[in-house]
Amino acid sequence: MPLLPPRWRLLFLVVAALSLPVIAGIVWLFLTGSFDEVHGLVPTGPLALKRWRFLWESIGNRPPIHVPLLNSMVFSVVVSVVVVTVASMAAYAISRLSFPGRSMYLGLVLMLHAFPAVSLIIAIFYILRLLGLFDTLTGVILVKASLDLPLGIWLMKGFFDSLSWEMEMAALVDGMSRWTLFWKIALPLVRPGVLALGTFSLLSAWGEFILPFTLIVSTRSWTMALYLQSFIGEVFTDYRVAAAVGLFYALPVIVLFLLGQRYLLNVYSGGVKG
Amino acid sequence: MKGISVRLEGLTKHFGKVVALQALDLDIRAGEMVAFLGPSGCGKTTTLLMIAGIYQSTAGQIYFNERRVDHLHPRDRDVGMVFQSYALYPHLILFENIAFPLRLKRTPQAEIEQKVRQAADLLGIGHVLDRRPAQVSGGQQQRAALARALIKEPQVLLLDEPLSNLDAQIRLQARGEIRRLQQQIGVTSILVTHDQAEALAMADRIAVFSMGKLQQLATTDDLYLRPANVFVARFVGHPPMNLLEGGFENGHFTMGTLSIPVPSGHLKGGGSLGIRPEDATLDGEVPARVVVIEPLGRETLVTLRLGEMDFKVLADQAARPTLGTEVRLGYRRDRVHLFDQAGKRVAP
Amino acid sequence: MRRYSAPLVFLLPATLLIVLFFVAPAVTTLYLSLTDISTITFRHPSWIGLGNYYSLLRDPFIGRILLNTAHYVGFTLLFNVGMGLLLALLTSSVRERYGNQIRAVWLLPRILPPVVYVLIWQGLSREAPYGLISDLLGTSRNWITAQPWNVIVLANGLVGASFGMLLFTSAIRAIPQDLFFAAAVDGATTGQTVRRVVLPLLRWPILFVTAYQTLSLLTSFEYILLLTNGGPGFYTTTVWSLHAYQSALSNYFGNVQFGLGAAMAAVLVVIGIAVSLFYLRIFNFRALVGEPKVEIN
Repeated sequence: MPLLPPRWRLLFLVVAALSLPVIAGIVWLFLTGSFDEVHGLVPTGPLALKRWRFLWESIGNRPPIHVPLLNSMVFSVVVSVVVVTVASMAAYAISRLSFPGRSMYLGLVLMLHAFPAVSLIIAIFYILRLLGLFDTLTGVILVKASLDLPLGIWLMKGFFDSLSWEMEMAALVDGMSRWTLFWKIALPLVRPGVLALGTFSLLSAWGEFILPFTLIVSTRSWTMALYLQSFIGEVFTDYRVAAAVGLFYALPVIVLFLLGQRYLLNVYSGGVKG
Repeated sequence: MKGISVRLEGLTKHFGKVVALQALDLDIRAGEMVAFLGPSGCGKTTTLLMIAGIYQSTAGQIYFNERRVDHLHPRDRDVGMVFQSYALYPHLILFENIAFPLRLKRTPQAEIEQKVRQAADLLGIGHVLDRRPAQVSGGQQQRAALARALIKEPQVLLLDEPLSNLDAQIRLQARGEIRRLQQQIGVTSILVTHDQAEALAMADRIAVFSMGKLQQLATTDDLYLRPANVFVARFVGHPPMNLLEGGFENGHFTMGTLSIPVPSGHLKGGGSLGIRPEDATLDGEVPARVVVIEPLGRETLVTLRLGEMDFKVLADQAARPTLGTEVRLGYRRDRVHLFDQAGKRVAP
Repeated sequence: MRRYSAPLVFLLPATLLIVLFFVAPAVTTLYLSLTDISTITFRHPSWIGLGNYYSLLRDPFIGRILLNTAHYVGFTLLFNVGMGLLLALLTSSVRERYGNQIRAVWLLPRILPPVVYVLIWQGLSREAPYGLISDLLGTSRNWITAQPWNVIVLANGLVGASFGMLLFTSAIRAIPQDLFFAAAVDGATTGQTVRRVVLPLLRWPILFVTAYQTLSLLTSFEYILLLTNGGPGFYTTTVWSLHAYQSALSNYFGNVQFGLGAAMAAVLVVIGIAVSLFYLRIFNFRALVGEPKVEIN
């Protein structure tokens, strides 16, 4: 608020105290993933690297770590690229091209944006089986990318809307086709949007659990979420190993957070401004 | 209610490294209306917001009568303020907007009713009190904002560009209304504006600001007839004063080949000489060529080429010269303004 | 036809994916809910009309599940909106830099992979001497088993609060600065400004967040699945969407009743479509689609 309350320092202490549980959770993850024994948030044993042996050997009948790791990387990168490309193309058309049914299309996108896609998972399971894509990474990628599309189109449309029409007219007068214009001019100009949507869908796919959990069975197609869940889902969870795996899995996200808090705040506040 | 005096002493405001206002000393008399005039970014709004208590001063003091107020929260200063955007609460009807300060003071409902009605009738918005700000005209919003500022009978009324969002016609009418109302109530008022016509028409005295500094505080006549420095000379008056830069020697002002006798014989060194376009004529003795002619209806603005610079003359429509011809420039000798090297007025 | 070749090309991939994974599944859900499809009849389901819906109504646990759903949605919503509002107001009332830092911290639960997030909750909820919650409360329990609902609401809430927090913060920032100045001059304290000016102006954002999160909470079950899987015990924390999922897709009871699950999902799909259509009406939709300024493609 433009006027700082006289006792804002007190308010800061209050809100910082409210935020402690979140910090405590992250600290717990780091400590339990590194020390032999942790009571509350106090390490009582020595540093223990033995629990990180999942990095060089298979544990139980799970696949070696590089399998889910590679799958997760492929999964999130491909989903992100597909979402950004497909959403940008559609958003450009809705924002800039004239065709019948344009406002209906936007209405559909807006509606799907609010529509809770999880409720479709039972039918999606059925459809993937019909298509022969069940239990394949390709299938989950397509599903995940599709479910992120409405948000992506909506976000990118906002960015395309703010481009200048004069620039578009000039390019057309210079003899450019809409296709070239899109790739060479429009898309580079909405780079903040592309980056925001890319980051968003990358993080969202990296953490995705329900879709692979439902649509993947074979361990060779496991993602990191399934790999970690296999440690938690056991009757007796060995938290030391689970925390190490969890830390390993969450590390890219935490590093990204530490490097770009401001940026992420902007992304999650609805795109990137400035 | 009778107004109080407002005194600023060494008032200074820094925003980070930027100096928005530098050591301002200013005395505003009880019941007087003073206009803060200047280009945008000159520090006039900053000063107003410090008087309101919204900005904290970096240094200096603010006194209302003899009471020091610069450490007080706005609500403890007893000021009313009209904002350029009006800042009416969009979710409240006009009645509630005007009643807002009273509600905060837990004034009894009957008293609120009576005061709001009275203020609204005075300002001619009694019939739209049940509407939201977005549902009334700009002029009505402006009056509602004024009513809200006056309802708690403040000691000081602050007006931040209150008319700049109005249509030209309504603006002229509102000018007169505000001035009449202010004189009637006798509340000490400060009007911030960048429009000199507005300042000249409404205020008892005008404070001209530039670059975070007060340039001059004077009545309209003084400002026009005796500008304190080159900035004020150039800023006040339209079309602006012609300023010739040169040097003083032996009772003459010289610029290139031009030499003009000046009344103050003792002046020496560099400086400038100012002549208002309306104080110049086309029947003098200084030769100049006509380069631009702009008919303004009643008068004609003639631009002359004088040595290296342009010189504007406001001539009678009848005396309109021909483009490209030579004319003889003259001026009223008692209306010449002299400034020293630093731009400060030296004479007369 | 040539005239519309450009929009066609641009829209084709998106349309294909939307039809395949939104439209088709919605229709399929409705269709499957009218059949007796299960593990045994997966290849050749037969049409049974509203049979699944009748058995839903006759299910002795349906009351329990509805109650659970209401509990889950209600309390999580209350926490999400309340906490989101509180965080937005507090972080907007301190120096911008500190406010941003706090907001960034609250982003963490949202961007952490859900499985990791749940793992952390499980770790913190363990018995003494390991669990932090047991430490702090001085009672050694597995708090997920002891207080499953509180853990579920809090775990969901810490993630959900950031949604409201970000939206309300933008809304507060959109309030013109002059209104705050005017309130101060009119004599309002910070508390009065919040109550009389800020909160009334946040009415629409609050309504939006509430409506949006009601819909998504109604259908979400990820954290419950991971935290308690509907337990502990029988149906203790099973909500509608989780029950649909388990009936159709998990081998919890051995016999997978795909059709019944689809019927439960169909109810959610219909609610989802109805509510999101309602959003379209509330949004000033026409204003969002300006006519293109170039008339050729």
